[in-house]
Order: sequence, then C-alpha cells, then structure tokens
Amino acid sequence: MNAKRKWYTKPLLGLGLLLGATFAGFPILWMIANSLKPNSEIFAWPPVWISPNSSLEPYLAVFQDPAKMRFFFNSYLVSTIVVIVTLAISILAAYAFSRFDFPGKMVINALIIAIQAVPPITLLIPYMALVVALRLYNTYTALVLTYLLFTLPYAILMMTGYMNTLPKDLDEAVMIDGGSRFRALWNVLVPTALPGIVAVGMFTFMRAWNEYLFALTLTRTNEMRTVPVGISLLMGQHAYQWNQMLAMSVIGSLPVLLLFLFFQRYFIAGMTAGSVKT
Amino acid sequence: MVRRGLLVAVVSLLVLSLSAAASAVTLEFQQWWEVELPRGVLREIVDGFTKETGVEIRLLSNPYADTNTQIAAGAATGTMADVVGLDGAWVYDYAKQGAISNLSALMTKGGYDDSQLSDQVRVDGSTYMIPVVNFAYPMYVNLDLLKQAGVTELPKTWSEFKAAAEAVTRKTQAYGWIIPLSTSSPNGIQNQFMSFLWASGGYMLKDGKPNLVGNEKLIKATEFVKSLFDAGVVAPGAYSMTEATMVEEFVNGRVAFMTSSLAHINLIRQNAPNLNFAVMPVPAMDGYDGPRGMVVANWGIGIASNSRYQDEAWKFIEYMMRPEVNARLAEAANAFPGNVLAAPDYSAADPLFRDAYEIFKDSYAINEFTGLPVSEHLMRIFNDYLQLYIEGEIDSAEEMLAFIQAEWEPNFR
Amino acid sequence: MRDAVAQRQPRFARLGPVLKHGTPYAYLSPTLLLIILLLVVPIFLVIKYSFYDNVIINKNPVWVGLENFRIILRDSRFHTAVRNTLIFVSVSVVGHLVLGLSFALLLNNRVFSARTTGIFRVVYVLPWMFTGAVIAILWQMMLNPNGIVNYLLSVTGLSDAKIAWLSSRKYALGAVTFMNIWAGYPFFMVSILAGLQGISEDLYEAAAIDGANAVQQFFRITIPQLKPILISLLTLDFVWTIFQFDLIWITTGGGPLYATETLSTYIYKQAFSRFQYSQASVAAVLVLIACTVIAIFYARQQVARD
Repeated sequence: MNAKRKWYTKPLLGLGLLLGATFAGFPILWMIANSLKPNSEIFAWPPVWISPNSSLEPYLAVFQDPAKMRFFFNSYLVSTIVVIVTLAISILAAYAFSRFDFPGKMVINALIIAIQAVPPITLLIPYMALVVALRLYNTYTALVLTYLLFTLPYAILMMTGYMNTLPKDLDEAVMIDGGSRFRALWNVLVPTALPGIVAVGMFTFMRAWNEYLFALTLTRTNEMRTVPVGISLLMGQHAYQWNQMLAMSVIGSLPVLLLFLFFQRYFIAGMTAGSVKT
Repeated sequence: MVRRGLLVAVVSLLVLSLSAAASAVTLEFQQWWEVELPRGVLREIVDGFTKETGVEIRLLSNPYADTNTQIAAGAATGTMADVVGLDGAWVYDYAKQGAISNLSALMTKGGYDDSQLSDQVRVDGSTYMIPVVNFAYPMYVNLDLLKQAGVTELPKTWSEFKAAAEAVTRKTQAYGWIIPLSTSSPNGIQNQFMSFLWASGGYMLKDGKPNLVGNEKLIKATEFVKSLFDAGVVAPGAYSMTEATMVEEFVNGRVAFMTSSLAHINLIRQNAPNLNFAVMPVPAMDGYDGPRGMVVANWGIGIASNSRYQDEAWKFIEYMMRPEVNARLAEAANAFPGNVLAAPDYSAADPLFRDAYEIFKDSYAINEFTGLPVSEHLMRIFNDYLQLYIEGEIDSAEEMLAFIQAEWEPNFR
Repeated sequence: MRDAVAQRQPRFARLGPVLKHGTPYAYLSPTLLLIILLLVVPIFLVIKYSFYDNVIINKNPVWVGLENFRIILRDSRFHTAVRNTLIFVSVSVVGHLVLGLSFALLLNNRVFSARTTGIFRVVYVLPWMFTGAVIAILWQMMLNPNGIVNYLLSVTGLSDAKIAWLSSRKYALGAVTFMNIWAGYPFFMVSILAGLQGISEDLYEAAAIDGANAVQQFFRITIPQLKPILISLLTLDFVWTIFQFDLIWITTGGGPLYATETLSTYIYKQAFSRFQYSQASVAAVLVLIACTVIAIFYARQQVARD
C-alpha cells in the first residue's frame, strides 16, 4: 500500500483531514471565542469572532473562586480513582470472557449490558435510597461506586473485544513455558492490549468527568461536587453566566487533552502492530 | 447475619444520638438564591440568625433548573434539607406527598401573627409555603426602537400594543414582541402569556377549578397572542426559547417589548449600559379600565417534614420574614418583600425599579398557577396546545381551550 | 488458530473440573459483586413500581397489575416518543460509526508525519471533552436564529432566512441528532483507532501480494478484524443513545410539539413534572425489556464466535 502510492493520495487525504477538523473544531473555536467575550456580545448579530472587549476576565473569575477550584479538584480525584479501579476490574473480567468457556457466560454477558438499560432518571430515586441506606450519601465513595457501574460495562465489553483480536497463542505460549495464567495476562496480554487499555481509560475518565445527574443528586454540599455541577450553578433562574460556563469547560478540558497528547503514541500506526505477528 | 445487622443498627443509633446531643443544632437550608444574590449577601443575612440563636445555618445551593428533581429525590429518601426554598408551582405536590410540613400548625404553636405576610400558599386550607420575596413581571420596552418606528406613546391597550409591535417590526431590524415557549421550562405561559389576561382583570380559574371553556377574556387573550404571531411581530425561535435566552434578545436590541422579571433590570444595565429602556404596565384588553393584575413569581420557603428541628426551622422562617431582614433580602434581590410591614430602602435601587414599584402598587399581585397540582405539567399542556393553535392545527381559541380544559381537569380531582 | 484450540485441550484437562470452572468466576467476581450490591435492588424496585399505583407520592401504593402498562401503551405521546427515539438512535449510531470509522482511518495514515496527524488527532477528539449541558448550550448558541450557523449560511449565500433550527418541527429532530453525532463520534473514533493497532501488518502484506486494492483490503481485513470491537461499540451506543437526556432537554425540552420527544424526555416529564413515577417506571421497564433482548443477541454472538 505504501510502496506504490498514487499521486493524488496525499492531497485527497489532506483535504479529508481538514474537512474533518473543521467539523470537529469549529464549534470549539466558537466556544473559546465566546468564553473570552463579555456576555452581552455572545448573542450579537452579526456575530463577532474577537471583540475589542474580549478579555481573560471570565477565566480569572473561575480561577479566583476557591469554590470552583474545589469542583476541579473533586472531578480529578473522582475520575482518576474511577479510571484505575475500572481498568483493574475490567481487565480481569475481560480475560475471563475472552479466554474461558464457562457455564453462565452468556447470561453474565447479557446481564452486563442489560443493567445499563434502565433509564438513569427512573433509577435515580431507588438508587439514591440505597446510597443513603449504605451511609454513603455525600461521599466520594458514592460517586466512585456509581461511576464504576457506568463505566464497567463498556470497559469490559471493549476490553473483551481487544483481547479477542489478540491471538490465543500469545498467552498460551507463556503457559506452555510454565508461566501462570495471571503472568500470561499481566506480562503478555496487558502490554499488547495497551492501545485498547488507553482507549478504555480515556473513555472512563471522560464518562466520570462529564457525569451530571448523579454527581448532583448523590452529593449535598458544594465541597463534594464536580465540575458539571459547578457549570450548572452558573445557569441561574433569570440569567446565565454564559462566558464563565464556557471558560470553565475550556479549563476543564485542557488537562484531559494533555493526557491524550501524552498517551497518543499508543494510537500511532504501526507502533504496536509488530508484536502481533502471527 | 441478622444479629450482626442488629448490632450495627444499635451502635449507629447510639453514635447518632450522641453526636446530636454533643453538637449545637445546625439547620440546612437548601435553595437556589445564594447564586442569584450578590456574593455573600445570603450568608450575611443567615449569620444574623446564628448570632441571635446559636443555631448554625448551612447553605446548600442547587442549580435552579434541578431544584425540583432534587427536592423530589430528597423527599423520597428522607434527605431533604431542614429548610427548603420552594417555587409555588411545586407546593401542592410536595404537601400531598407529605414531604413538607404544615406551617399553619407551627404558626399557631408559636403564636405567630400571620397578618403581616403578603401571601401564603395553602393546600387544603393549611399553609405549606410562605413567599419570602416577590418578583414582579412588568413589561420592558426599548425606547430607541419605538422612536425609530415612530411610536410616540407607550401602548396601554392590546390594539395599541399590536400597532406598536407591527410598526417596530416593519420599520426597524427588530421584532415587536417576544415570548419563551420552550417545553423544558413552560413558564412562558405563566409569566408572558397569562400576563395579558391577568392585566385585563381576567382569571383562568373559578373557585380553584379550571375555567377555560367559555371564558371570554381568556378567549380574547388567546386570539390576541395568535394575532401577534400571525402578524409576524414575534421574535423567531419562541418554541425553544427560555427566559435566559429571551433576555439576551432584548439586551441586543432585537426586540421592542418583553414581559419579564424585575430581576432582569441589573442584568440589562450591566450587559447593555447604553440601552435606552423603560418599564411599563402590561397592556390590557381594549376597553378595560379596572385594576390590573401583575404577575409575580416568588422565592418561597418551607420546612421538610423529615427535619428533626421543626421548631428551630420555624424560628428561622420567622427570622427571614422579620420586617428588617425581609427588607434587606428584597433590596438585594431586586424584589418586593413578602412581609407587608417591611419597608425596603430602594433609594439606592435603579430608577426603573422604583417606577416598577409604583406600577406594582397600582396593581394587584397575581399568579394563579401557584399552589395548583402538577402546576408545571398544566403549563406544559397549555403550552403544547397553544403552539398547535398558533401553527393553525387547531381552528379556534375556543377549541384549543376546550382541549386544555379536558386535560387539566383530571389533575384537579 | 485451529492449532491453538487443539493445544488448549490438554491444559484444561490437567487443571481439573473445579478449577476449570472456578477460575473465570474468580476473574469476574469484582464486577459481579458491584452489580449485585448496587444495582439489583434499585432495578428490582423500578420493576416493582411499575405494578403499583402512584408510588413515592403515595405512602401506601396499591397493586394495580398491568393497569399502568395499559395506560402507557395507549398513550399516543409514548408512541411519538418511541418513534422519535428510534429515529434519533438509529441515525446517531450510524452517524457515530461512519464518522468514527472514517476519521480513525484518516488518522491511521502514514502519509503525513506523526506530528501532523498528532495535531489532527487532538482536534478530532475535542468534542468528547465536554459535559452534556455545555454541548447543549454551545449548540443552542450556534443554532440560535441570530447565531453563527445562520450567519455563515447567509454570508455564503446559501440561505438568508434566519432559520430557528431548534424551534422548527421540520428541523428540530435533525438538529438534536446532528448535535448528538458531533458529540459522540470521538468515542467510536478512539476505540476504533486503538483496535486498528491490533491488526497484524502481515494480513495486509499478504493481501497486497494477492493483488487486493485498498478498498478490498478494507472490506476483507479491516472490517472483519474490527468486527468484535464494532459490535460492542454498536450495542453500547444503542443503549446509551436511548438515554441521551441533557442534550435534548436543554435545547428543546422535547418540543416543539413533541418533534424531539424521546423516551428519556418522556420519562422525565412523567416522573418529575406529573409525579407519576409508576408510569415513568413502566416506560423504563419497557425499555429494559427491549434492551435485554438486544443484550441477549449480543451475548449469543459473543459465545458463538468462540
């Protein structure tokens, strides 16, 4: 495919990439532009990209408010714990699904998907009653456990999918050499499935980071609340703090983007493919 | 297993009662007001109560749009805060559910003189919510747009209003009128639509029951609103508009008239310092010259029935309603006090606010949706049929109101 | 692959029947523990509510059998919500798949330098970074009659009418679906991108030697190799999109005139505006049944491939 590349491949590909980038990035650019504007100009016609009144004031307002910084801290704490626990649990579960046949496999598999099929809004009250009964109301633990329930089904399914794409010879080779199953999983499968693990980790982080309904309902005080709740507190009864809401979102997305930049070597074509030669 | 469960229960009960005895009383006050008020004002006001009584107040803030879900969830799981900020639209259902306390009983017990309260929201004859402050909804008008359109006098009647709105739409880039009819918050029915009816001395209820069919004034008001849409003078996007986006249209000078909360004066001043605008009474039906009803929305207060501190909670409400405290809150919120004896000092307030106060004093406060069962649902039903009528899928206002009445009635049983 | 299966048999035999069955359960135990501990009771309660009259509001609800189901199944607004949900979900899922797959393939090129594709990769993943409410607010601004979208349409001469996208019965469902596609494709893209790394180079080389062109390689190697991942993605996305709430609720609330009423907005209104939790639970149970059927299909397919 590389050897005899047609002359038009590069320009065509470039054009495709640019079109896609416009689709993905334009609304974000508009968001950043609006986060710098005074509220009065956000709905101006004709729209202005950069107004002479643009300033970093909305950002400063966010940074100077300790309550808002607390939302960020909570979000990072909860999301990070959720990622670590989700990965650990889902790798184990995916290994079971990918490498074993056992009675009840189908039922458990179906169950893991079906548990997500209850609309969160109807689950809200009975679930909250349980959290209160377990004395977890208004704790980080409640949020972490709840998000695990949201992230695990995806994590397990995807992880199973990635492990299924890896040939069984890989781990069996370890076991034939006398290694344990766990060693096969840890030393061979996990490193090979790293792109999948990173993708699942990213997803898990985003899911925990962006969740709103339970973050609001299972907490009581602003000391325990996360960024999406903080953003919604700026949507008042009579008026919204448009620019601060957007500024808070932009600030919140930056560290996640950095993480993505850091991990992106796992998505680079050909990086790990070599180890999967059959 | 059972035995261990019992042990845990006993121990936790012990711990609970010990901790309750050891610490002073702390009341939780859940509301959406703190973020609406200038920073620190609510804290300062409730600290006054702590100084007097030693009872600590913990302020819990929730996003306004979710107050309802949060109270519902708290009521169902017994985690409601001791004192809760309420909107009149929800009171009936929470009272029926047994989630909020009967305040009449507490008032009698404390020997409270309730004649000083401007209003009380009652369910089956007992009070469940007291409006702390009231937000009036006058009509805002962009004077520059009127000037450009050659309208020299502020409209007082519906036909004058329509003529002015048409002139603005024809002669300027702006639209005449605006109404937010989003299904997610159907308050537009209460605050903007009904304002025309109530300003004309009309009512949608009779003896607390829906009275839509054959209600002459309501039929006229509905036809009037439809005629505004037909004339093309209503700003586009109404069906997905909320109050927060509506006010941005006014701020940007794209609409001449808007019925909205007085709470918006500061926002408009801040966001559009050069906007030349005024407040005026909502126009009434042609030929009506009786007293005018003015829409009020309120910040109400109530007590959770699951609170262990009913008496302390009532003392706190008494404090919030005390003339000088109430006045202070009203000043800060740009609202009118819920205690008739309170004398807020509006001298520092915006001159337009004082104009509105004069208008308010000439009118009577009204909001027929307050205290109704499933109030928000009723507005939403009205909203849906109104849109069908405006879209021409229902032939007449009478027919539309008959549909609404049929859907409203089962909720009043 | 065949050889591997053959090799596996003696190992299992040596481990003995107990261990053979015990091991996978041990690996699954943390997952199952969490589910049983936290979800069984609430889900059971939701199902129970659906057979009672006026739960939560009423302290002593009465058993009414299937009465609530009868009410909901006859409610024309429920039918509208189901129809809209099917449109919203199917278009969204297909949109996510098509965009996610094409963007992943675009990014998986070796024509441009690693740094160039790296920048694009970050741009492409951007819509993923924001919570539902913010995406809703952003698009609400952009699709406002006086928003940037209409401005661009008028500047480019495509349309001078200030279209009220979210207030028009014609466009509203399309607009929220578009927003949802925009917000959700990075999830597919990143997952597929990761999956692409697991496909052995040899397969492509072998195909190239056999004279397969890029399109043939795509259908003969890429798609079959990604199939397990794609099926998981589609199943999950289907279930999740049914419950997309914030985006629709904040932008249209299900309106205008039910044009964007989906099951999630319908259920919300039943529960928190009408306080009919029983009826909301009925709708939830019906969704649960539908999704369980899908889940069983998925699980069967998972077992069958082994």
